[in-house]
Amino acid sequence: MSQFDAIIIGGGVNGLIAGTLLGRRGKNVCIIEKSNRFGGMASYSVDGGPTLAHSLYNLSPRVLSDIGIDPQHPVLSGKPVSTVSLSEDGRHIVFKNEGVFWSEGAKHPESDAWTDLTQQLITYGGLLRQLAEAPPPGGQKAILSRGGLNEFLRLAKLGIGLKKLGKPEMRRFLQVVLSNVHDIVLDDLPEGSVAGMLAADAIWGSATGPRSPGTVFNLIYRLGHGGNITQPAGGMSALTDLMVEAAQKAGCVLMPETEVFRILLDDDTVSGVATNDGRTISTPIVLSNLAPKLTSLMTGHSIFDIETTRQFRNIRARGTAAKVNLRLKDSSPLPGLPDELADERLIYAPSVGYVEAAFNPAKYRQMSKAPVIEAFKMQTADGASWLSTIVQYAPSDLEGGWTETAKEQLAEITVETLSRALPGLGDQIAGKQVITPDQIESATGAPGGHWHHAEMSLDQLLTLRPANGMSRYSMGPKGLFQCGAATHPGGDVMGLAGRNAALAALEAQP
Amino acid sequence: MSIFTDPKLGLIPGAFHKKLEEQNRAQNWYDWAGFAAPGVLDSVEFEYFALRNQASLFDISPMHKYRLIGPDTTAMLNRLVTRDVRKISVGRVGYVVWCDEEGMVIDDGTVFHLGDNNWRLCCQEQMLTWLLDAAWGFDVSVVDETHSVAGLSLQGPTSYAILEAAGFDVSKLKPFDLAQIDHNLMISRTGFTYDLGYELWCDWDKAEALWDRIWKGGEHQGLRAIGYEAVNLARIEAGFLTAGVDFQPVHGTERLHRGQTPFELGLGRLVDFNKGHFNGRRELLSKRESPRSLLMRFDVEGFKPSQGSLIYNRRKKEVGHITSGIWSPTAKRNIALAHVRMPDASRSSGLKAEIYTLQEGKWRTRMARLTPVTKAFFTPPRARATPPART
Repeated sequence: MSQFDAIIIGGGVNGLIAGTLLGRRGKNVCIIEKSNRFGGMASYSVDGGPTLAHSLYNLSPRVLSDIGIDPQHPVLSGKPVSTVSLSEDGRHIVFKNEGVFWSEGAKHPESDAWTDLTQQLITYGGLLRQLAEAPPPGGQKAILSRGGLNEFLRLAKLGIGLKKLGKPEMRRFLQVVLSNVHDIVLDDLPEGSVAGMLAADAIWGSATGPRSPGTVFNLIYRLGHGGNITQPAGGMSALTDLMVEAAQKAGCVLMPETEVFRILLDDDTVSGVATNDGRTISTPIVLSNLAPKLTSLMTGHSIFDIETTRQFRNIRARGTAAKVNLRLKDSSPLPGLPDELADERLIYAPSVGYVEAAFNPAKYRQMSKAPVIEAFKMQTADGASWLSTIVQYAPSDLEGGWTETAKEQLAEITVETLSRALPGLGDQIAGKQVITPDQIESATGAPGGHWHHAEMSLDQLLTLRPANGMSRYSMGPKGLFQCGAATHPGGDVMGLAGRNAALAALEAQP
Repeated sequence: MSIFTDPKLGLIPGAFHKKLEEQNRAQNWYDWAGFAAPGVLDSVEFEYFALRNQASLFDISPMHKYRLIGPDTTAMLNRLVTRDVRKISVGRVGYVVWCDEEGMVIDDGTVFHLGDNNWRLCCQEQMLTWLLDAAWGFDVSVVDETHSVAGLSLQGPTSYAILEAAGFDVSKLKPFDLAQIDHNLMISRTGFTYDLGYELWCDWDKAEALWDRIWKGGEHQGLRAIGYEAVNLARIEAGFLTAGVDFQPVHGTERLHRGQTPFELGLGRLVDFNKGHFNGRRELLSKRESPRSLLMRFDVEGFKPSQGSLIYNRRKKEVGHITSGIWSPTAKRNIALAHVRMPDASRSSGLKAEIYTLQEGKWRTRMARLTPVTKAFFTPPRARATPPART
């Protein structure tokens, strides 16, 4: 029987980060992963195709430094990618840090308005980031204790930051932060592709449309680390390999292809885990990277209070994004797209109204017939060319289920939709791969196949994430913590949930 | 979680309504969980003395009754309530309390262990949604029996003789035992009076027949139908708590910190920390040694009932209030249940109740000394004797 100071269940991004951080603080850590590969949803792929996640925009530099990865590491120093909003008339719109341009090079008339609004949201994101880099406020710590004082200072810093914006800006912040992206964007921009791009960026991965409350917050969250989008050199799996390396360097023991079926308790205190291969590993601390409900299956739910079980079974997590990977016949440029835009991030979201209309069928368990799409052209390790796309909305609870016919239909819709702006795309496609939310769920355990394990809506944020009374990472018996995307501040290959959880565990059991 | 009577519906007749109506000279109906229940049928004195000296019949059908059946029922109940129900064997009844996640009492009640993994829970508050939440993940079915099972409380020194005369053999029943008489009738030696007494449980539509049978058995035993006021006197003498009066069921409170822990209610003996997890256990562990107030029993100076009075300490600071206070006709003492804040509750000397009296249009106050009492005010040995006496 082996013994560890801490065990992490689930070797996804947050699990790796939590383990590495604990390892670097002198703990003897074991990270257990069910599948044969670490990285969870970020690096999940089918038959060597593109991974689920295909770009980085929110990876926290603070997390990187905490786990000892150099932010300048070659894998991470990819060139920032621009976003291209595809247009049916061939005049695509390019969003760069310097502004918005037509694909032929001229400046777009809405460029200044877009830049102003985006900058404003990035500023807000910077302010809110302080909240993301710590457990949510409201712990019952004495104000004069070290933790209490830190929390107070952090909130004070947010307050001062808000004050510093100046009165009109502060008012604006309070006005927009809880609002819906439809209203806020159309206040400053006319309806069209530029506004549509912002609307799309506010809804990726979530079961909301631009008119849903709280979508501005989602957009701010996405822009929380400046809004730059990069692709790790060597793809997402290179990044997760880097994290695995960091974990090993920190002394973590990695156990792939091992399934925990029970978290063992002794007198309301964690004492170890039992694995499917019959091993018992003892530990006083377990950090579970799984959603709370799945964690409760391992402990038995009766060790939680009735209120807690009611809360975690009512956490909303309905995945709405499917991954459709289109295998291209060769690496020749996409039709209708200028060469210099070939490697950029392509989106299809011609207007705010289009995005909202795409959401409508999802409310009734249907897939969008005219979906919002994000696409990257990329090459996998075997040299094959792919168009890796995220297709929104494809609800996890599709009426009739995700049959082969339904999947085929979604792939066809994807090609059809993209072909409107990239005519002739269909002729270039050699194969299709559809990864639906329910498939993501069964492969990774993420409830509903949801990116964040729990919808990022106002009722499930901060002290309410994943649910009221469960927001400070510890859960039920002594020594049990959650470290997954369902906890504050959420997912997005950001890593802060894992980091905050590890710090909370250290604080509780130094 | 109180029940609001639908004004369109009005009070609805209970299982024994016809029988009660025949005897209800006082026409004093009150709302008990939506049912028309008698406060007094004749006069409270007659009824109270029947209870203590002869026998009394009181309709307890409006109590909320839930049947819990399924392989996991004992485990589910053990997670719900604070005491270890595994120690309550089949054929026994137990008094239990259950708490929310903060360790505040949601309600108290009795559990009837009818068979293997077959329990009935009786309580004052509506509990169906809570029980359904508590049963999630357990193989247990929760059935609300409130409207299908009728209950009749037969209490008093001659209650055993009455059952005997009615043809029921309950001579072997010890206190808190239950017996299934036939598929339609269960008798338990329980009650809310701390006296010799039984509770009879039958199908709702067989209720009147049961009443008639008991009534006939009581012809020569001074049996009297009674209302709640008499029961209330007896339960205060026994030191029993009433939800909403002596403690606030926490699901029914809207203001913060109105809930109370079992320790604060003097029910610490019902909390078993060694049985594994139960709802509120973690909070109760930390709250065990730091009650904010205590529910206390007092002898009150003088003879004026002290219900609702504020309590002052030696320095004339308000430190609590009387929740239930009566003149006890049997103990011949002025008695009260009261909440007293810490630390005055632990000192408890020099406490006084400020009693307001109204005498023919004149209000007066008197400061009555309070003397703490640890035991119940009236505990007759006949309540526990087995086999019970006939008179």
